[in-house]
Amino acid sequence: MIADATPAIRARSRSRVRGPIRPRPRWLETRLLALVALALVVGSLSLGATVSGRFGLADPAGLLIYVAALFAAHAAQVLAGRRTDQILLPTVALLGGISLLLMQRLPQDLVTQSFFGRTLGLAQVQLVWLLGALAVATTLGIVVRSDLWLRRYKYTWAAVGVSLLLLTFVLGTEINGQRLTLQLGPLSGQPTELLKVILVVFLAGYLSENRALLVEQDTRLGPLRLPPLPYLAPMVAMWAIALGIVVIQRDLGAALLFFGVFLALLYVATGRVSLVIIGFVLFLLGSALMAVLFDHIRTRIDIWLDPFADPLGAGFQVVQALHAFARGGLLGVGLGAGLPEIAGRPPIPEVHTDFPLAALGEELGILGVVAILGLYLVVVERGLRIGAAAADDFRSLLAIGLALVVGVQAFIIAAGNLKVLPLTGVTLPFISYGGSSLLANALVVGILLALSDKGVEPPPPPRAGSRWRRAGRPAGA
Amino acid sequence: MDGFLLVLWAVRLLFLGLIYLFLARVIRALLRDLRAAAREPADRQGRLIVLASPSGEPQAGQSFGLDVITSLGRDVNNAIVIDDPFASAEHAVLTYRGNSWYIEDLGSTNGSYINGRRVDGVAPMGFGDELQIGEVRMRLERALR
Repeated sequence: MIADATPAIRARSRSRVRGPIRPRPRWLETRLLALVALALVVGSLSLGATVSGRFGLADPAGLLIYVAALFAAHAAQVLAGRRTDQILLPTVALLGGISLLLMQRLPQDLVTQSFFGRTLGLAQVQLVWLLGALAVATTLGIVVRSDLWLRRYKYTWAAVGVSLLLLTFVLGTEINGQRLTLQLGPLSGQPTELLKVILVVFLAGYLSENRALLVEQDTRLGPLRLPPLPYLAPMVAMWAIALGIVVIQRDLGAALLFFGVFLALLYVATGRVSLVIIGFVLFLLGSALMAVLFDHIRTRIDIWLDPFADPLGAGFQVVQALHAFARGGLLGVGLGAGLPEIAGRPPIPEVHTDFPLAALGEELGILGVVAILGLYLVVVERGLRIGAAAADDFRSLLAIGLALVVGVQAFIIAAGNLKVLPLTGVTLPFISYGGSSLLANALVVGILLALSDKGVEPPPPPRAGSRWRRAGRPAGA
Repeated sequence: MDGFLLVLWAVRLLFLGLIYLFLARVIRALLRDLRAAAREPADRQGRLIVLASPSGEPQAGQSFGLDVITSLGRDVNNAIVIDDPFASAEHAVLTYRGNSWYIEDLGSTNGSYINGRRVDGVAPMGFGDELQIGEVRMRLERALR
């Protein structure tokens, strides 16, 4: 069906894609990036002055490399001349910069890694990952012109995702009672971070293909109108996978994230509140069952309900985070002026991965936290906007899903830090320490950038589902 | 030392202020973008692009802006005239209801097909779906923004 698209259309799209590359200025991005650079220099000055007692940047080399990389990414995009989104990169760059400042402020021996005989501390490792993430996002935003590689192979991607998950189940190393990390030779990573991107790709493909069927037909169950039962099967499968992640990986956060994004996309695709309500009830039932069956989940919920029951034991992390927010107040105590380490460790365990928001809440105050949450909202808004302007349902759902992954994840961990939801161990996108998290979120930004291009190749004609192909081509075709 | 502290606090507040200045700039850009999108005429919710048309009318590659109700068929009174031997005079109607496009086959002889599947009565149509009437194949796309 693709082969016989008319030559006129093919020629048009080809000339658009293969045309000469002409640099195109991106003034909005330039201005916003300049503002980001200025803010980061001031932040670094504030940190340096607080730490050393006289005015000077905290880590001039690291900051300079980061800002230079930002402008290099900007320059590459200007030269490539694509009409992609100009707000996404500066917003994410500011989040990354805040992350860099935070990692420079925390004790450097929280994480050490040796590269070619040189030992890098927390901030340096994070800088390396940030540069990698920037490179990934920019490259995708410049190079990707067609979504066929995502659209065509959605079941392949789903298979890759499930096998990654199974691989982690079998070969994963257990850290803090959670089996999340996959170690392959010298590389280690958290596959769930990559999995969330794959999940959105699969869901966008599946829902855009079956949207008509999900909306059109009904199975009546009392007062509820449900889509045909066979099309609910993936939903049940998703539910099972989410619960499987909770049971085997003990990763409550990833399960919450996957299911939340799944329900949101289902709603976007069908516009049916009933599906979302059913899914939500299923999730609550599942969670209640899990809480009865598994000790570690019951502990989480107990901590959430009353962390002060055991402030020095189970509730220690959460209590310390709440104290940190309280110390921060409205304006915060200033970067680097937070509570000094207790016996060489920061007061909140795992502050660089699970509690960066608590650390920022202490040092930048509620105003800083609100601004950071606002930056996430901007990312989500861009995703929704790109989705609304997309040429077809697949791109629409893909853009919305990718943006929601970032938004929902930020919400889950922010709510966990603030004791609004039980604490789960997902990362704060773009801010938490960690290579897998940064690279996966860079994938999200890169694909969003590519999708936002106004002059991008038109989507291919849909292919008839296998069921219809088996029945033979219709008359007149 | 007091002077140092004062300046330090000014720097701290400046950092917060710059973050908010960035947010304000971004929000201004977002609002401008949304207003520009809102100014677009809202009555064109989509367009039909002709992918293949062996008989030449409509022409392949042609794009039709769609009204809320758009009729298709061989008769010249249709909004989109499909001059194809396999098309009926009043073949089908595309309508925009709620938030979605629907195709209704008006009892045509050879039927209308979405993605190669025959339509009985009314069927919803998503953006990117392919509509076939006679030998003419068309794709529903969002209106250009």
